[in-house]
Amino acid sequence: MTKNPPIMAIPQLVGPSDRIKRVLDRFMDAAPAICTERAVLITESYKETEGQPMPARRAAALDKILSGMSIFIQDDELLVGNQCSMPRSAPIFPEFSCKWVEEELDRLEKRTADVFLISEDAKVKLRSAFEYWDGKTTNEIASQLMPAESLEAHNDVVYTVGNYFYNGVGHISADYSKILNCGLNAVIASAKKELGKIDFTDPEQLTKMHFLKSVITANKAVIKFTKRFAKLAKEMASSCKDKERKAELLEISRICNKVPAAPAETFQEALQSFWFIHLVIQIESNGHSISPMRFDQYMNPFYKADSISTEKAQEMLDLLWVKFSELNKVRDESSTMAFAGYPMFMNLIVGGMKRDGSDATNDMSFLVLQAGANTKLYAPSLSVRIHEGTPDILYKKAAELSRMGMGYPAYYNDRVIVPALLARGLDREDARDYGIIGCVEPQVGGKTEGWHDAAFFNMAKVIELCLNDGVDKRTGKQIGPKSGKLKDFKNFEDLMASYTAQIAHFVRLMAAADNAVDMTHGKHCPLPFLSSLVEDCIAEGRSLQEGGAHYNFTGPQGVGVANAGDSLAAIKKLVFDDKKLTADELCEALETDFEGKEDLRQMLLNRAPKYGNDNDYADEIAKEAALIYCNEVNRYTNPRGGKFQPGLYPASANVPLGSVVTATPDGRKAWTPLADGVSPISGCDTCGPTASVLSVAKLDHEIASNGTLLNQKFHPSAIEGEKGLENLKSITETYFQNGGFHVQYNVISRETLEDAQSNPEEYKGLVVRVAGYSAFFTALDESLQNDIIARTEQTF
Amino acid sequence: MKTWKERQHSFDLEDRNKAAMTGLVFDIQRFAVHDGGGIRTLVFFKGCPLSCKWCQNPESMSSRPEIMRIPHFCIGCVKCVTECPEKAIHFKEDGSVKIDRDSCSLCGACVEKCYAGSMTIVGRYMTVDEVMEVVERDRLFYSTSKGGVTFSGGEPTLQSEFLISALKEAHSRGLHTAIETCAHTSSEIFAAVIEHTDLILTDIKHMDPARHKELTGVSNEQILKNLKMAADKGKTLRIRVPLIPGCNDSPENISATAAFVGSLGSAVEGLDILPYHRLGEPKWAQLDREYPLHGVVPLKREDVFYMKELAERSVHNVTIGG
Repeated sequence: MTKNPPIMAIPQLVGPSDRIKRVLDRFMDAAPAICTERAVLITESYKETEGQPMPARRAAALDKILSGMSIFIQDDELLVGNQCSMPRSAPIFPEFSCKWVEEELDRLEKRTADVFLISEDAKVKLRSAFEYWDGKTTNEIASQLMPAESLEAHNDVVYTVGNYFYNGVGHISADYSKILNCGLNAVIASAKKELGKIDFTDPEQLTKMHFLKSVITANKAVIKFTKRFAKLAKEMASSCKDKERKAELLEISRICNKVPAAPAETFQEALQSFWFIHLVIQIESNGHSISPMRFDQYMNPFYKADSISTEKAQEMLDLLWVKFSELNKVRDESSTMAFAGYPMFMNLIVGGMKRDGSDATNDMSFLVLQAGANTKLYAPSLSVRIHEGTPDILYKKAAELSRMGMGYPAYYNDRVIVPALLARGLDREDARDYGIIGCVEPQVGGKTEGWHDAAFFNMAKVIELCLNDGVDKRTGKQIGPKSGKLKDFKNFEDLMASYTAQIAHFVRLMAAADNAVDMTHGKHCPLPFLSSLVEDCIAEGRSLQEGGAHYNFTGPQGVGVANAGDSLAAIKKLVFDDKKLTADELCEALETDFEGKEDLRQMLLNRAPKYGNDNDYADEIAKEAALIYCNEVNRYTNPRGGKFQPGLYPASANVPLGSVVTATPDGRKAWTPLADGVSPISGCDTCGPTASVLSVAKLDHEIASNGTLLNQKFHPSAIEGEKGLENLKSITETYFQNGGFHVQYNVISRETLEDAQSNPEEYKGLVVRVAGYSAFFTALDESLQNDIIARTEQTF
Repeated sequence: MKTWKERQHSFDLEDRNKAAMTGLVFDIQRFAVHDGGGIRTLVFFKGCPLSCKWCQNPESMSSRPEIMRIPHFCIGCVKCVTECPEKAIHFKEDGSVKIDRDSCSLCGACVEKCYAGSMTIVGRYMTVDEVMEVVERDRLFYSTSKGGVTFSGGEPTLQSEFLISALKEAHSRGLHTAIETCAHTSSEIFAAVIEHTDLILTDIKHMDPARHKELTGVSNEQILKNLKMAADKGKTLRIRVPLIPGCNDSPENISATAAFVGSLGSAVEGLDILPYHRLGEPKWAQLDREYPLHGVVPLKREDVFYMKELAERSVHNVTIGG
């Protein structure tokens, strides 16, 4: 590998400017609402284009939306471009699904999470638009295509393919670098060139022709859209009395006339060009997790070539961060349980290695982390790549940000991820050039259709099924294969055989469900604009949805690794090894949700080895449970010519997936959430963070190449001071040396400690760290706990 | 080999005889971050020659294992009552539990059946190898954070033979060693212990011998003598001053302490002011003991900072909190 050059000092970083403070205040005051414009425009367009080839219809619809939607420029903005008629409002995408929107229209304002305001007039408009879509949405078409058994298992929540079943796919990164440097005119030119080669007499090439034409229409539509902003800015400038603002508006106008059609030159042009692309992708489809990826890599050259001051550049970045947060998406009520907080999962990553293997850290890496600190917004999701050559100063800056308690940045391990991607067939340089999509999913940007959030697979439900001969104890239905009952198993091997049989059965059904949805998107919802920004769609003459990308994957996630592992470990230890419990006793207690059997539940909780304590007994079983899932997923292929690849992370699906699972042998009560990602069960890791990360590192993270997720919590006392930053680094570094994939840190707040008082079981490992002192938080009495809570955000 | 956690599920007094040498340990805490630099494993020895009124680990005072009961973990299964062969545990009408500690034979029957972890016995007899097995597990963290192992207490030098053996073993494995000691032990023992110690963390509770005896049960003369000896031998010291309201927090005492620390010269790496906290109080009750400082209010932030300023007149590296 190339030796790393000595790293520069951290650039002088600056805090939020007054302009940013004003813009942030305005952002916080904006209430999310439903915007009907897109739904109305796309419905009109679809009516106008009945009978035309689908790519042409999609491009025409995009043109109609971008020409007809309201646009605005807000005070203090230097970067422009809006998704909806109001900031933070959400558009509607009826082509994917709209039955649930119609059903939930009256509840959108009243639900507990992710509330959206909606006027009566808007409801009327939407209801009228939705009439057209009956039977035409990708959701309805896919459910016709799906095998009945697959749909049933989805409805029984053994897995959920909900994400792409009800929405666009998203989970992708455009080739931002290419657009900033070449412009959309170059994209149009390359489509025209390919079009010139078409032989109309070849039926396959005829399909290509329609796709390439749709690329040209879509890109022209985007350029027209950006020129609308140029015109608006110019008009606003002509009536603007404030000389400074007038100059700013004229500059905005100049830039919007230039980019993204032409290559960007200045830093502001590059940011504006980036923003238009990033924005339109999220108007074309509502697939979330559109990732800016290695922003520091493609943006730094523009920053360095510009004479702009650090202050001004930081302000522009901070403004961009607010623009990110203004994007929004409305989800159905049950999904808000899994995705609360209006998340868009736009993952932006800095650092790591370059394509040649040398360290990639640059000035922009630091400015990006500073933008996170300045705005304290939940978007974009900030991430940092770590490799052997990561400079200490980047580690330190990232640790400072982690300690602010917003849950970012997330840390990613090049030492595991690069080989994992190589094993999936990426070229060496592409593997080194990975970024992160969504929560934790690695891909090389601008070349991949990764379908990363293809499904969430309920590993705890499988535990329930494998103890009960395939019967769903919630509904009493026989849903899985007859793999035996716990009392029939002679030993642990029998139990594992039953677990494996259930996993294999349901992974197979899940793959069929995913492929049905995948085929539907390919046939009924190609995205010409997004496709034109990803290699090799233009060269191949195929949309992303039909397999035009250079790399294609499908990534379904296993959720509840710790529940599965700890359940199996508890049975092995207490039923088979120590014979403290009989199979009947255990099953009866599980069926009655431990009613009158609290001592038995405490035995399961406290006398069985638990994953997360650096205890090989439990850790090896968790590893095996995860591996069985991963190996099954690896067997399948998707309709885009790509392979399935497993992940082990939940987004927040651990909550809804847990809500259908009866009590489990890990001591978990019925219907309660599952463990988060590959993290140990809350309260079961009582040996501190070092033991916890050593346990998690024992899993095979390389095989789970769609990503694994570890959340690690700290009380502020554990990470205070300069040495606290060193200790955070040491935890990350050691976890990564041992083969961890991802880790992110949460700092325990007052609210968390209050929750620990009410739910002590979930916080058994919580320690307030004081010199030479020994005790767990939950073992203290209430008055003292109150005392600690009162002081928790004040450390000396 | 059993993990530290698994050791808590049962108790066998005979463990003390399982090897030629065992030590009584009441906790092993991984990821300790205030006790000697970097990420460390903290091994708490049971038994202490002092009886400080503010002791934050009262379960460390006695040199014998003892019952400790966390009332709010109890699920009321009453197995402890029915399993106790000495009939030493009684549930009262009001739901509270009375343990007849004199009748308890430390058989461990209650602990074994108390799945909820309310009934515990503190203290496990362990061999050096058993302790090192736990310590070794975080070796990688020590190397990435410049950490190591710290033997604390109680008072580790009270089990000097075991301590020296553990320190030697840690050194032979290339680990950085620290002790947290009150330094109240004979000069011979102290000299032998610090020979294998890289960093000595030690409290100075009061400079006045008489007041020291009132507060801790012993005079400070031997303590100060040991510290001087350690400094003369060129050992690295980190002095810690627990700042206890109404006990040792007079400006005169802090200044006198700092002056003494200053006189130890370059051996002193720094001085940590450890402000009084009440975290130990519930544990006194869990041992059925009365907390001598009940009702004492922790110092105000500004008062702690004033003490820091005073100390800084004589010592250059003063921190709050260790």
